[in-house]
Amino acid sequence: MSNLDSRDTGIGAPANPPVPAVALNGITKRFGNVVACESVDLELWPGQIHALLGENGAGKSTLMKILFGLVQPERGTIKIDGHRVQILDPAKAALLGIGMVHQHFSLVDALTVWENVTLGETGRLDANATRARIAGIAERYGLEIDPDLRVGELSVGLRQRVEIIKCLRRDPHIIILDEPTAILSPEESEQLFGALRQMIVTENRTVILVSHKLDEVLRASDEITVMRQGKFVDRFTSATADTPTLARAMVGRDVEMPSGGGALRIRIPDKESAKNSDNLTSSSSPTGSVSSENSPVLCIKDALASGTANAPSLNGFSLKLYSHEIVGVAGAEGNGQTALVDLLSSLLTLVSGTVTVNDTVIPTGKAGAMAQAGIHVIPEDRQGSGLVTDMTVAENLMLNNPLGVTKWGVINRKQRSSLAQQIIAKYNIVCSGPNALLWTISGGNQQRVVLARELASQPKILVAAHPLSGLDISAAEYIKNHLIDAASNGAAVLFISSALEEIFDISQRIAVIHSGRIITETPREETNLESLGLLMGGSPT
Amino acid sequence: MSNLLNPIADILTSETTYLNGALFAAFLAFAATGEWVAERAGTINISIEAMLLNGAFAALLGYNYSGSIIIGLITAVLGAMLVAGIQAEMSHRLFADQFVVGLTLNILVLGLSGFLNNQISPRATLAGRWDVPLLSEIPLVGTALFAQRWPFYLLYPLIPFSWWLVHRSRWGLEARSVGENPHAADLTGINVNKRRRQSIYYAGFTCGLGGAFILFAHVGRFENTIIGGRGFIALAAVIFGGWTLRGSILGCTIFAAALSFRLSIQGLGYNLNSELLQSLPFLLTIVVMAVFAKRVRAPAGLARPFIRHTK
Amino acid sequence: MNTRVSSRLGEWLVLYSLSLFTALLLSTLLVEATGGDWRAVLNALLDGSIRKPGRWGETISTAAPILLVALGTVIATRAGLVNIGQEGQLYIGAAVGTFIGFLVGGPGALNVVLILGCGALGGGIWAGFAAALKYWRGVPEVLSTLLLVSVASHAVAYGFRWDWLLLAPEADRGNRNQVSEQLPLDNRLPRPNIFGNEIPLTVPISVVITLGVTLVLTRTIWGFRLKILGRNKRTAQRVGVAEGKYGATALLLSGAFAGLAGAFMLTGGGYTFGNYQFVPGFAANIGWTGLLVALVANEKPLAAVPVAVLFAGLRTGSGFVSSTGVESRITDVIAGLLVLSLLIPTALMLLRDQRRFRTNMSERV
Repeated sequence: MSNLDSRDTGIGAPANPPVPAVALNGITKRFGNVVACESVDLELWPGQIHALLGENGAGKSTLMKILFGLVQPERGTIKIDGHRVQILDPAKAALLGIGMVHQHFSLVDALTVWENVTLGETGRLDANATRARIAGIAERYGLEIDPDLRVGELSVGLRQRVEIIKCLRRDPHIIILDEPTAILSPEESEQLFGALRQMIVTENRTVILVSHKLDEVLRASDEITVMRQGKFVDRFTSATADTPTLARAMVGRDVEMPSGGGALRIRIPDKESAKNSDNLTSSSSPTGSVSSENSPVLCIKDALASGTANAPSLNGFSLKLYSHEIVGVAGAEGNGQTALVDLLSSLLTLVSGTVTVNDTVIPTGKAGAMAQAGIHVIPEDRQGSGLVTDMTVAENLMLNNPLGVTKWGVINRKQRSSLAQQIIAKYNIVCSGPNALLWTISGGNQQRVVLARELASQPKILVAAHPLSGLDISAAEYIKNHLIDAASNGAAVLFISSALEEIFDISQRIAVIHSGRIITETPREETNLESLGLLMGGSPT
Repeated sequence: MSNLLNPIADILTSETTYLNGALFAAFLAFAATGEWVAERAGTINISIEAMLLNGAFAALLGYNYSGSIIIGLITAVLGAMLVAGIQAEMSHRLFADQFVVGLTLNILVLGLSGFLNNQISPRATLAGRWDVPLLSEIPLVGTALFAQRWPFYLLYPLIPFSWWLVHRSRWGLEARSVGENPHAADLTGINVNKRRRQSIYYAGFTCGLGGAFILFAHVGRFENTIIGGRGFIALAAVIFGGWTLRGSILGCTIFAAALSFRLSIQGLGYNLNSELLQSLPFLLTIVVMAVFAKRVRAPAGLARPFIRHTK
Repeated sequence: MNTRVSSRLGEWLVLYSLSLFTALLLSTLLVEATGGDWRAVLNALLDGSIRKPGRWGETISTAAPILLVALGTVIATRAGLVNIGQEGQLYIGAAVGTFIGFLVGGPGALNVVLILGCGALGGGIWAGFAAALKYWRGVPEVLSTLLLVSVASHAVAYGFRWDWLLLAPEADRGNRNQVSEQLPLDNRLPRPNIFGNEIPLTVPISVVITLGVTLVLTRTIWGFRLKILGRNKRTAQRVGVAEGKYGATALLLSGAFAGLAGAFMLTGGGYTFGNYQFVPGFAANIGWTGLLVALVANEKPLAAVPVAVLFAGLRTGSGFVSSTGVESRITDVIAGLLVLSLLIPTALMLLRDQRRFRTNMSERV
């Protein structure tokens, strides 16, 4: 499993000292029964931009959090400049010269730029010295900023600039950037990479770039390590690698053949197969155009929602959904997926645009209106809007529809319990019984509770947001089968994910979301992983 | 018309009005200053009432056993900080609900001080009056601001120091950051709950001074009702002031003016709706919150406990 | 699973006993340190709350309004709201009950029902201000309910200045000022004598209400939805529990219960509470005590019953304590220490649960 074979690539560069700046060895970390990292080895050399490439949930963020002291590994060693260290918290990481630019900013909106930059340092608070330091960094790397502005008033690009300056203020020799361009415009990304290049060339720092954008990784980095499902996959030198190779390594070899619906693992539900209940694993028949002749079940038209500076919300989002189909919404994180799910969960009120279910306009942001209209949602953050963790399993199974077990507003506990028992058995939910509190069961089983509840009442429309993330393979397989089942039974399924492999696996139609709108929509047969990967990363087809 | 104007003119030309106003305002300001610091770091200290009362009672004990007002001042600070300690440790170490803890402390201290006061009947006194030369001779406000008993003058350095502490010191920057965005502060390597606890201790410190002030510079003897809900007025003043120190002090002044106006108007034998004046601090605060709640921003992390890895 | 449940129960018991013991020990030390005799105090407490003739009736009739306030608090807490203004809501409830009761002055039983209804209405309206401020203007209910307590006391003080509002006419007052008229005999709730103890009708009514609240909260859809709202606002919004509607209802109900408690004290409180007269300071900390009871009972209506009786016992016992030469306020100290000590085990368990919860989650990192 371990791959130490690339050690010589570092030594190959003559300017480098013989010890790597960072050496991670056999790092393993599990969350519950999900493996986030499994015996991962990684070596980083000074004077290089090293890219860590992988899909969501591939374990790259966890690995970086381990290096930054936010997460403790179960096994494995960390060496900085050849010395073995233990990094218990971010403060220790800072002492060791490690700086991190967080994907979700660690900035305080209400404070000014200079206050944010100096936050976390020690010693006397000196505004002028900090301003001077900011000016120095700004000049050196072309990252100009007014130190007296409030961070809350800055654009996303400028906020990230502050985050980078904040990271640089301690003069770290190892800099981690976690998905730094996820929310940047192309120009802003360009500027950022220019600054990074400067840092490694003139100052011999080590830069780690965590990303799932193939293009930028190739353009900006010197070396690329690919991770998948918590494991090391392969290592490339940027100069010799190309996008298709990287895409294949990133999403896994088993779907590397050009997708035309012919891949063996891909199963697509349609009306024919629905009649044959055992037909789930049969190969697909072309269906893309069949459904579109009918009227759509769900129609979102020109949805516009105001977002915060951090997350682009919906901006002219339109999508139609027909019954008996699974539509995959692909896109890099933070392009409006959260807003889309919130919209369909009645958690978001549109500024303009409409949501129609079977030609009835559904009011947005009205409690329970979407659920009433038959839209069932498996949310991304199950503890956020899917479950109530300090209620029992039975209660959670009846959250949206307690009416089935009530008479005149009174809940029949016996009936609820036996109904819950049935569902628990049917969906193989491992728990001590219907009255087990939800937090006592594992994440995978919690996910099953959500799934069971949303599927139990034969949904017309099912929205699943990143339902497979954080699950191990068998649990993921299980949920996929149920989604396919639902579509076979006539549901319209909206499947939102940033893992292309998942999307390709079960969707018939694939829509790519970018900056709050759908930029392309194609039947799966007419596209392939590589081109979609490029689209997602914002590069032209 | 003169019916209405006469009393107002009488009140505005009476030195007592200003003297009372200054005493009320100073007391509120001692409390509000500490409360402001605690709220900027993310805690709503309902136990401010208990801190003030325990401060005043500890001042009483300190003076009773030592005969020294200075000692009384020190014990006052210790007494109030003891209450602050319980509030801080319970709400930001054990994560018990801060309001529950605060309320319980209020009741506990009310009972405790009443109990001990009757059991041991300690005696207090008033501190000496210091007249600031020249300044105290300014008509009307001179006496109010510059001819007070000496604990009054502690307020003059306390306010600018607190402002400096919050806005110019590193500790204050960190305290503000944990009040605004504890998760970001945590990522930056700041011990969020420690800063929050410290800010509550600071509130205990100023409330201790406030308790000593009301005992030694205003009332001169201890009663169980010596605070009488004015801790809540100080709390209201901080909200009224939109979580700025200037606004909080302004709130204290306005509320104190209302209270003093009520006293004076009765003292001069006029009859006016004094209940309305007494409610004014609370009504004004509610109105201000209702009008500005969506515009004036409270510290974003206010009253939200911080436990790492939870949102 | 069973062993886990029982070990949890065991831990719970140990923690609670330890904390309670500490609280009582501290109280004892306090009494001894100030020259009192703790045995005498304990005896006096027991005498005053249970042993002497008529005292246990007194205790449980004191417990009734405390329990009602606690029930209201439980409802608000279920919905995730922090209502800490019961003292004011109760005061206003009693005031409105008095005002309307004398304004209408109808025949006996009907007028009692009217007074009770108006009490609930008054308390509800007072909490309603906080609800309106919260859901229209975004004012946190913690602050508004607290501030409204003081406003309530000044509003009532205003009422006592006018005989068209609360003040009794000159002739009925004698020398005393600032009291309302006394309720006529037929406007009082009966206090049947059972085994030498007067048990006002408020006691059985409170018990029935407790059972009702328990059923509504645990068995009905409304209670279920309220709980969803209190535990997870986003999930609530998704499954159709509108925050404004359910939250405001819970807050209003919570105030109404406090107001009803006030009306109970007026119509059935006897000598303990103003002797059928509305007087300044009528609320007598019952609102605060009820709030504490609810907090100790930890959102469980049935658990509030024994806690309310305990706190009522401290109250009725305190009158007897002074005869031992120890200041009767020691009971307030004991009450406060008890609450603080009861908070600690809950907090510790919560902390541990959260830790366990976090390790249980397959966190997405």
